[in-house]
Amino acid sequence: MRFFLSPALLVILILPSLGQFLDPAAAPAAPVTVYDSVVRIEVSTQTPDYRTPWNSGRFSGGIGTGFLIGQNRFLTNAHVVSDARRVLITKRGSSQKHPARVIHIAHDCDLALLEVEQFAPFSQLPHLEFGGMPKLESEVSAIGYPVGGDRLSVTRGVVSRIDFRPYSHSRADSHLVIQIDAAINPGNSGGPVVQDGKVMGVAFQGLTQADNTGYIIPMPVVGRFLKDVEDGEYDHYVDIGVSTFPLFNPAMRKAYQLEADGKGVLVTRVVPESQCDGVLERGDILLSIDGHEIDSAGNINVGGEFLDMNEVVERKFAGDGVAFTFLRTGEKKDAKVTLKASEASRIYAMKYGVTPRFSVYSGLVFQPLDFNLFATYKFENRNLRKLYDEYIAEGIFEKRKDIVVLTRVESDQLTSHMSGFAGMVVEKVNDAEIVSLRQLHDILHQKNAPEFLKIEFAGGSRPLVIPSADAAKAHPRIMAQVGISREAQLD
Amino acid sequence: MKPNSTKHTLFFLMKLHFLPAFALTFLTVLSIPVSAEIEDSVLRVNSTLQGYSPSQPWEKTSPRKLRGLGALLSGNRVLTTAQMVADQIYLEFESADSTQSVPAKVIAVDYDANLALLAPIGESGFLSKMKPAEVSPPSKPGDSVDIVQLEDNGSSQTTSGSIRSLELLSTFISGRYFLCYEVKASMQTEGNSFTLPAYRDGKLCGLLSSYSSKDQICDILSSDIISAFLKDAEDGEYQGFPSMGVGFTTTEDPNFRKWLQIPADQGGLYINRVLPTSSANAAGVKKGDVLLSIGGHPIDRKGYFQHPDYGPLYWTHLVKGSRKVGENVEVEVLREGKIKNLDLLLRKSGERLLASHLYGQAPPFLIKGGLVFQELSLPYLKAFGKDWATRAPMNLLDILSNPEDFEEGRRRVVVLTRVIPTQATIGYERMSNQVVESVNGQPVRGLPELENALAQTPENGLHEIETDDIPYRIYLDQTLAESVDQQFKASGLPSLSRIYSVE
Repeated sequence: MRFFLSPALLVILILPSLGQFLDPAAAPAAPVTVYDSVVRIEVSTQTPDYRTPWNSGRFSGGIGTGFLIGQNRFLTNAHVVSDARRVLITKRGSSQKHPARVIHIAHDCDLALLEVEQFAPFSQLPHLEFGGMPKLESEVSAIGYPVGGDRLSVTRGVVSRIDFRPYSHSRADSHLVIQIDAAINPGNSGGPVVQDGKVMGVAFQGLTQADNTGYIIPMPVVGRFLKDVEDGEYDHYVDIGVSTFPLFNPAMRKAYQLEADGKGVLVTRVVPESQCDGVLERGDILLSIDGHEIDSAGNINVGGEFLDMNEVVERKFAGDGVAFTFLRTGEKKDAKVTLKASEASRIYAMKYGVTPRFSVYSGLVFQPLDFNLFATYKFENRNLRKLYDEYIAEGIFEKRKDIVVLTRVESDQLTSHMSGFAGMVVEKVNDAEIVSLRQLHDILHQKNAPEFLKIEFAGGSRPLVIPSADAAKAHPRIMAQVGISREAQLD
Repeated sequence: MKPNSTKHTLFFLMKLHFLPAFALTFLTVLSIPVSAEIEDSVLRVNSTLQGYSPSQPWEKTSPRKLRGLGALLSGNRVLTTAQMVADQIYLEFESADSTQSVPAKVIAVDYDANLALLAPIGESGFLSKMKPAEVSPPSKPGDSVDIVQLEDNGSSQTTSGSIRSLELLSTFISGRYFLCYEVKASMQTEGNSFTLPAYRDGKLCGLLSSYSSKDQICDILSSDIISAFLKDAEDGEYQGFPSMGVGFTTTEDPNFRKWLQIPADQGGLYINRVLPTSSANAAGVKKGDVLLSIGGHPIDRKGYFQHPDYGPLYWTHLVKGSRKVGENVEVEVLREGKIKNLDLLLRKSGERLLASHLYGQAPPFLIKGGLVFQELSLPYLKAFGKDWATRAPMNLLDILSNPEDFEEGRRRVVVLTRVIPTQATIGYERMSNQVVESVNGQPVRGLPELENALAQTPENGLHEIETDDIPYRIYLDQTLAESVDQQFKASGLPSLSRIYSVE
């Protein structure tokens, strides 16, 4: 974040907000009507605290931008309305706040659709039209309500790069982005970026360490989102769940009996239970995807465009098919698989709008490992980090729905020598292997408990043991002492 | 592991800025006249140290110099710390007044205990005019100690202090604890010297290895350990200190004690790992046992025993410090509520899967066609920087955390540490730090085995190398690899391997 302290600059920045000098009609690229369909979104949020999951969390809020794209359909960023308790939409040139709600939210591509309770005040506004991909070096305008004033702001920039980049909202997804040299500031999020009156994308993120770098979500991604929700539900992106390794090395090619023609890529890992599990296996050579020949680096050529083979799938939906040809021990084979979204892989994505799961027993707080928990606790335990890292790739999720972590040990005479266990993964409770939070919860609360409650941890220097009778006695006492209002959230 | 405060181990690297006048007064107050015997046994030890690059083990890092002190013992031997000689390429003795010097060599060294015994190469020179010191009998808390420093002009300064307590400290290799004196003394910095001899009643009673100027506390390696070290080195074949070879944790948690059925009047340590090649394993100590006593000394729930003269000491002193390799000791354990007495024949600590240091032996490696193989060691992991414990590759850290999962079929863990781009390694350039499982179908127990496997001619002319990560199996053209190796030699790489054979 930069601050201009020069008085001269401040004056210039203030002037447009006085109104007279900037006549929207004077901007030829974007007619006045486009501006009217761009709305200000005011959001109050409630973000759960993963350290005290039984508490209500932190209340906060923010301002973003959205725009009308259809009959009571406002498009904005998912991050503008994530964890929202209240959403209010304000028209340009009006101070009336209209209650709104989220209809669809897609955290993996940072887009959301809203509707207002009363559409009448907006019914005369034009629906913004979508364009295609802007050309490099062409000019675009970002419209929105960023910091620095209350009224609508327009910044112009040039398309400087089109690339496949991470989307920071979910921390786990990468899609196509357009980079422009106009600064996109807090509040701009969710606003349209237009060219010749048509929407070229949605402004969504910037760079903290670079000046005048803004990123926008381009139309292929926006279009995919809108198509996905047509059936009334958002299904997420799909992934083939296959890792590959380039086949550049002549010795490698010789070992797999391939010609030196620069074609084919080696399958090194197939995610268990993914749609390719059982179809492809390690050591297969992928030759084509949907009829596009795959080169030895795993790239394909689609209509002159050079793409990673995974980008074929990027444009598809759950339920769509994808066809492969591949070599297995020298034999050419064909396969067709139906794509589906991988629920388990969302362990690596930031979750929003969900109540954190936990179970507390006798001062021991258990929580399932996911990105939110990791971001909160910054775990350093190596066994935990390894399980997290290999959760999908090694198919750990097949057996363990949850990796349950003892996150906290609340103070009590009973637990006074147990704080060292915090941050470790529970492997077994009373000799039963722990595969889910609910199972752990049930074992902790079971009738006819054995004499000792015994918990074993991954890489633990000793088991944690408590006489079951003492644990049962301490449970309500510690809940009251620490002020834990609920003992569990299992769903 | 024993929790302990880390002090400045690099002695006197910090400079104190006193006004000269003030410094003089300070010295006057603290200095006492030095008896002739003490002064006559202190000399300077200068060393040039040069280690190996962790990532390019065929290269040496830039040399650095250390200046320290040593104490002359009978037979023209000089005692100093191992720190002074670790990775040494040149050693010399220098007279106190810096006018004469004699080149020196190492006779015996123990990096764990931080002790080294040196001798002159050839003529003993000025040493013959000095008077060797005797090693003092064991000291107790309250005893007064004189710490000797040499000033630039050759005159000696001593600082007196009294032993506040005896403790087990790790003074060089982390995690290796030996009996030390904690001495309260206010010291001045004289030159940049490591290792200061300490005397009691004119006899050598310890070597100062670190000093905290803030707390004015010196850590002095005790004469108990020095005597044991010298005795071991007497026959010219240094064995080292024995080790029990167990992993353990405390039993302070009353819930845990109930579960283990430890009587209230007992202490005990919970054994959570028994190294396969250890003395403990041979004697039948099992994981889950509670160690109650060693040699009749009960061990408390935090791991301390009561020494008749020294007060409470950490239990490892009962093995490493008061006993020798080859000695027997009775060990009492609690197993499922019943006491068992085991007779332990003490051995030297066995080879660990990961070497804790690489001093005294240049790191082994092997280059084949541009693939660089090394044996995983703690120094290799530590080379990933200050945050190595989280920043080093996860698969390698996992071996450090759970060595028992990797011990089967391995003596050492061979790692494909990096790939030098060559004609033979096209497409492999991004591979690094992968654990090697097998080569040409043969399991890799260590670098010698890897070398053997690569020396064979594979059927189709391709070496097959299996690793723990993507792409799991790579191939290397044997002929191409050979010619690349020849190019490496021609381009100045001194050697393509450094491998130590195993008996």
